[in-house]
Amino acid sequence: MTGPRVPHPEYEELISASLAGDLSDEERRRLDAHLDGCEACRGVLASFADGRRIVAGLRHLPVPRDLHARVRSGIESGRLAELPWWRRPAVIFAGIGGSLAAVAGALLALVILNGSPEPVGNATPTPMPTPTLAVSSTPSPTFASSVVPSPTPSAGTPSASPSEPAETPQPTPVPTAPEPDVYLGHTGPFDNRAGVVADGATGEGIIEDSTASGPPFAAELSPDGQWVAYLTRVGEKGTHQVRVTRVGEPSQADDPAAPEPIDSPIAVGQTVVLGESLSGDPFIEQLAWSAPSGRYLAFAMTNAESGDTDAWLFDASIGEAEQVTDTGNAYVGSWLPDGGGSSLLWLSVASERPTSYLQAFPDSAAEALTPIDPADDPIAMAEGVFQPLLNVSGRFAIYWDGAMERIGSEDGAVAGWRFVSGAEPYLAEHIWESEEVRFADERAIFRDLTVDRDGFTSASITWGPDGDTYAIWDARWTGTPQSGENEAPYPDEGRVYFSRATDARGMTRGQAIDAGDVPEDWYIADVKIAPTGEHLVITVARPLAGTLDAPEADLLLVERNFGDEADEVTVLRGEQDTNWWGPAAYDGR
Amino acid sequence: MVLPGHVPWEPTVVTRPAADPREIEFGRLFEEFSAPIYNYVLRMVADGDRAADITQDTFIKAYRKLDTLTEATSTKSWLYRIATNTAIDDMRRRRMVSPMGDDSPAYANRPDHRPGPEAQVMAATLDERVQRALLRLRPNHRQCLLLSDLEDMSAHQIAEVMELSYAAVRTLLCRARGEMRRALAAEGFAR
Repeated sequence: MTGPRVPHPEYEELISASLAGDLSDEERRRLDAHLDGCEACRGVLASFADGRRIVAGLRHLPVPRDLHARVRSGIESGRLAELPWWRRPAVIFAGIGGSLAAVAGALLALVILNGSPEPVGNATPTPMPTPTLAVSSTPSPTFASSVVPSPTPSAGTPSASPSEPAETPQPTPVPTAPEPDVYLGHTGPFDNRAGVVADGATGEGIIEDSTASGPPFAAELSPDGQWVAYLTRVGEKGTHQVRVTRVGEPSQADDPAAPEPIDSPIAVGQTVVLGESLSGDPFIEQLAWSAPSGRYLAFAMTNAESGDTDAWLFDASIGEAEQVTDTGNAYVGSWLPDGGGSSLLWLSVASERPTSYLQAFPDSAAEALTPIDPADDPIAMAEGVFQPLLNVSGRFAIYWDGAMERIGSEDGAVAGWRFVSGAEPYLAEHIWESEEVRFADERAIFRDLTVDRDGFTSASITWGPDGDTYAIWDARWTGTPQSGENEAPYPDEGRVYFSRATDARGMTRGQAIDAGDVPEDWYIADVKIAPTGEHLVITVARPLAGTLDAPEADLLLVERNFGDEADEVTVLRGEQDTNWWGPAAYDGR
Repeated sequence: MVLPGHVPWEPTVVTRPAADPREIEFGRLFEEFSAPIYNYVLRMVADGDRAADITQDTFIKAYRKLDTLTEATSTKSWLYRIATNTAIDDMRRRRMVSPMGDDSPAYANRPDHRPGPEAQVMAATLDERVQRALLRLRPNHRQCLLLSDLEDMSAHQIAEVMELSYAAVRTLLCRARGEMRRALAAEGFAR
């Protein structure tokens, strides 16, 4: 198609315009008259028309299935996909997370630190409507130490609760520091260590708990900033305690649509031990606060004697926890962001084919909670979905699917449920519409792994406050690692894999943090993603050398870099001071 | 996985906010234009993942600017202008894509629901050649030609999208057709 020469260039533009009908009547007449007598220009017309036909005949391809979800997530997070996410400026868009961070940080500043008017912590200035901060009417208990025994904490059978505002997030770029709002510690002389809640920005201790059972390894702040829930190891028993500490007063919101603040009989500075559970399973370690009310903390505990696992709710309004399932195989997923009068919780039932059920819990009237079978009269159910973890907007979910088996512990007792084959985490749209709740367009997260008989046993997963980033660590794989002879094992239990839901690449081995980020022979105890979406706060712990060895953990701030550029690692707290620092928590969405 | 929609929602338990007109309008825009915008961008950049990213950003920007859309504005031109500018920004940042290779072009791996493997192979081959020809064009020529021949826009509509005068579009389109004719010839399309 070299085409005819153009002997009459003055007519070429008319020929081109004629193809789309862009000629005036006068131009049309003039061109027609010329074409009648010019074979060369008729050739140009035919050639241009061929070209137009060829372009018009290009295949029309379907849009990627996840495009809608990516757009919705981008609208809500205020983020674009134009640049690779690790190259974008370190800003967040103050929506729900930003205002909650402000509330939590300011509460810590005003209530706990002796009423100091100076804001501390990672409070994010934001033009978003922010609830009025309440100054405590009670004396501020700096390093208050008070433990309230669990209302019904029999050994091995403990207790627990909560979701997120429906306001339209507004993209407001606000530079944000990556430091956490709070972090925990277990410090002091070897034989007399105490728990401490520290301000994330200043490192100052704000609450001390002399009764802490052992080092903490998981923590979540409630959405209203009043509570931090956490898990602590119990000596060498292989169990952990579930605890909540009240760290702030309720605030009065400017927004009339905001939920009533939850008042509680538990005073600021007090800790409630909710119970003790068999430890070692990431699926039991899920701590889920309901939002936006923050009334409930949902958690699961495994009875050390029977091996039964059930869900519990801590109700902040009464300061107590109650068992809410009685099937012995129930695990906690996530709360829906806004149940509109109810708190809606995904509960998962472990079985050969795990299934999740959506159940409602009252947000207002003080109704007694009685144990149920999650499968009884659910609002919705999803077969093949285990422990759905929703992002902050509730539009994305990460869940597990695969074959599970009930297994025994080393001493012969039953020790809960595990995935045994073909299991892996999936990313899906979580669609919540007036008539239905469902998971859609699911896709395996790890794109460069082949899962068949081999698969994951478990892994720990966390979403970032931006609702887009997520991290996976402690990935336990049942088969032979899928890596070359001289390559690092993959998947690697000792690495953190870090990606975002809107990244079409999913998760691959290339998205692991640098091997050198974690000190050699230490393990990863906890991971949180900063609101910047570019930083991880990682608790790394040294394995105990013996019963007389003091637990030690450092809190690291890791800025992820790609390519040849190494990650930037800053020690926020620790570095061989033989204390335990971590885990961290952000704004408690 | 069995989707859970078959369990009836309990309306007394859950209340939903009233439908937001902005959301309804945006939903309509996305429904009508997401596929054509994606395909237009795909032909601009010849990379499925990049096209998805650019389309994603186009609709995020459109959502933010929805208030600026007036009755006097052509919705289609407005949306294509955002898409075009977003694609141009992307290409500038990347200093333009390299021509598509002979093996496994990203877009060719996208699902195609047409029946018949042979037909698909032939179509892919033809598609690749046309796509390679398009990539030989200067970006503004490619935009202009795609808007005209793929999107079937008039010169007036293209002028709105590219923010050029009507006369400038006609000149540009004529040059683009000449350039495309040579590029197609280089790909073996003879007349």
